[in-house]
Amino acid sequence: MINIPILLIFLPVVTSILVYLFKWKHMNIVVLGSQLILTILAAIYFGHFYGQFEHTHLVLGGWDHRIGISLANDELSMSFIFLSIFTWWMVLAYTFKYGKTDHTFLFFLVFLQGVFLGLLQSNDLFNLFVFLELTTIIVTILIAYKKRGESFRAAIYYILLNTSGVLLFLIGIILIYFTFGTINIVYLHETLTPGDDTMVLRLSYILLMAGISVKSALFPVFTWLPKAHGAAQSAISALLSGLVVKGGIYLFFRMNFLYDNVGIHYGDFFYWVGALTAVVGVMFALSQKDIKQILAFHTVSQIGIIMMGLSSSDANTFYGGVLHTFNHAFFKSLLFLGAGVIIQVYRTKKVTEIRGVMRSMPVVSVFMIIGMLSITGAPFFNGFISKSIIKYGIEDSTIRYWILFAVNIGTATSFIKMSQIFFGPRTVSYPIKNMAQNFALFGFALGCITLGNFYIPFTESFFGIAYDQEFIHVGAFIDYAVTLGLGFMLYHFVISKDYKPIQNIRNFKLSFESANYVFIIYIVVMVTYFIWL
Amino acid sequence: MSRRLFLIAMLGVLFVVFTLSMIELESLYNNYGMRYFLNEGFDDTGSRNLVTAILLDYRLFDSLFEAGILLIAVSGVIWISKHDVEEKNAQFMLDKYKTPDLFVTFSRLVYPLMLAFGFYVIINGHVSPGGGFQGGAIVATAILILYYIDGNKETNIGLIVTIEKIIYLLIILLASLSFFTRGEFFTNFFVPSANPDLKAIYLVLLNVFIGFKVALGLWTIFTAFLKEGR
Repeated sequence: MINIPILLIFLPVVTSILVYLFKWKHMNIVVLGSQLILTILAAIYFGHFYGQFEHTHLVLGGWDHRIGISLANDELSMSFIFLSIFTWWMVLAYTFKYGKTDHTFLFFLVFLQGVFLGLLQSNDLFNLFVFLELTTIIVTILIAYKKRGESFRAAIYYILLNTSGVLLFLIGIILIYFTFGTINIVYLHETLTPGDDTMVLRLSYILLMAGISVKSALFPVFTWLPKAHGAAQSAISALLSGLVVKGGIYLFFRMNFLYDNVGIHYGDFFYWVGALTAVVGVMFALSQKDIKQILAFHTVSQIGIIMMGLSSSDANTFYGGVLHTFNHAFFKSLLFLGAGVIIQVYRTKKVTEIRGVMRSMPVVSVFMIIGMLSITGAPFFNGFISKSIIKYGIEDSTIRYWILFAVNIGTATSFIKMSQIFFGPRTVSYPIKNMAQNFALFGFALGCITLGNFYIPFTESFFGIAYDQEFIHVGAFIDYAVTLGLGFMLYHFVISKDYKPIQNIRNFKLSFESANYVFIIYIVVMVTYFIWL
Repeated sequence: MSRRLFLIAMLGVLFVVFTLSMIELESLYNNYGMRYFLNEGFDDTGSRNLVTAILLDYRLFDSLFEAGILLIAVSGVIWISKHDVEEKNAQFMLDKYKTPDLFVTFSRLVYPLMLAFGFYVIINGHVSPGGGFQGGAIVATAILILYYIDGNKETNIGLIVTIEKIIYLLIILLASLSFFTRGEFFTNFFVPSANPDLKAIYLVLLNVFIGFKVALGLWTIFTAFLKEGR
């Protein structure tokens, strides 16, 4: 029973290699079979250890826990495991037809699942580094998969920037190993005391956070994300935006758990980083005309909102941020997959050129609208719940509240802009022939609605927090209506006119050299904040 | 210019912080891990080379995924180097007429020596410096020399990649064999109290598998690059 985490990691890895070896046309059925076994195993594991996750500490090879590599799970990692398995189910369904012929693609896709599940369960810092590196390489290949100039450029940009981040992460690990002689996360969490608060420890914290910031696309170093997620195939964009970017967020709270007892006050710093990420992401999203670029920049802004929640010391708000990672995974994957279907049919990515989606593809439109309602925070949809929790958490500070409000208006504006694709006469014919794609959209849409209405059992069983506040009341509807109204006005009077500054923002590109420059500034700011202040 | 100066100033700040931390680290340094490996390493794993002990026993799980990185990189390079564009008639440095005869002759002499040295490093990984990863790289270099000797050599990449994948599966199988003999994943399948010579069987087997995998992987990568170049 305790060895199930190993199976969770190796089942996808071995399956993917079998896919590569036997290029058999029914291989995708085998993959779905292994996915089914994986789901059952995870469910059994969760049922067995529920309520006593401290017994899941598994040292591989039976060595002393300070020497060997260990895996450990808790409620949070289990919730992420279920989220990953669900996302992979849907992405595999979406690419079902494609996977029949393209085995290399299926190989990378399924291998990535094993590695990602390993990243979630690992309890060893160096092991985390290995998994991070492996994720980076697989994601690079998946981004470059179409082998076009644009996707190659995005992939190279991605791998260079992320590798520099991951290398800093490695230096941070080395500093920890030199100071404590071990890299077991749970052990370090238990032994670290405020007395260990030295400059070396702070430096290691900064380096780890620098790596994580790149991985999770925080403010100054988010530039790889829109490029990569815009250039990849839609299924891959959905996977990357919905889930893989959350690997960084997951590490953010795993690492803060490690330094928990030292007493580093990171809240304010990461609140402002998150706020800047959100505002800048929305600004760029508003200026874009490419449907996938809009979605990719909204991933950046939503990660900012997640960080606003996660940086709070209050448990309710913190788990609001965690809940928002889940909600974002559902609606952003839904939007990317839906956009993928639309792009496939219309053969263009320009928001201004796609017209009449509602008439030509009503089913996809309904799912897309569910996704848009969720991301803008409409009541009864999942985005609303987590945004409300974060909003209540930061209500005491007026300026923080208004920043969140402004970001919400920006989000509303850009999805009002995007909704122009629905109107107009029918221009293309789209017979529903690919049921698997619609099934994937349906799965994510169902997730959006379920989490929007029945979030209490979910948060209770995974985070141990029951949100007993009633979020849905008249005020919430008024709030949403005001947001939409202001968003519409902003769109109608400013964005749709496409003024010169907006064009400038749209054409703004940060070269790799400048990105590194900015990255160094970011590290220096962190050093100043965490060591000298 | 001001941009450069600003950059230098910032790097200076980082340098100062690093230096101060390193000075502080001297008093904080904790060598628990090092002492553990020095005292227990040989008895635990049967490997005189402590790097191999860590790589193939204490932290075998990491090594499996390090090998996985190579596996992914190989598949990625093959995928990306495959293209439908008309192959260009580029003159490549491996052009038979441009490789000096002296070099070819020496290559013929060096090739068997390098191959033998590679195998030596792989097989003796548990006794002397070396191991599967390093030895595999040496073997791959030896194979690379073959291309200097015969510039028109054709290689069946598909076959090599298939063998590489199968060997990776075998490595995973061998690593998890200990679960069936001892109930522990990813360690030696002999009990810790067994004779070091017995334990060496496992280490040699694993080193050989990893060595082959690495050699085949690197061979594929440079074959893919060669095709690109031709």
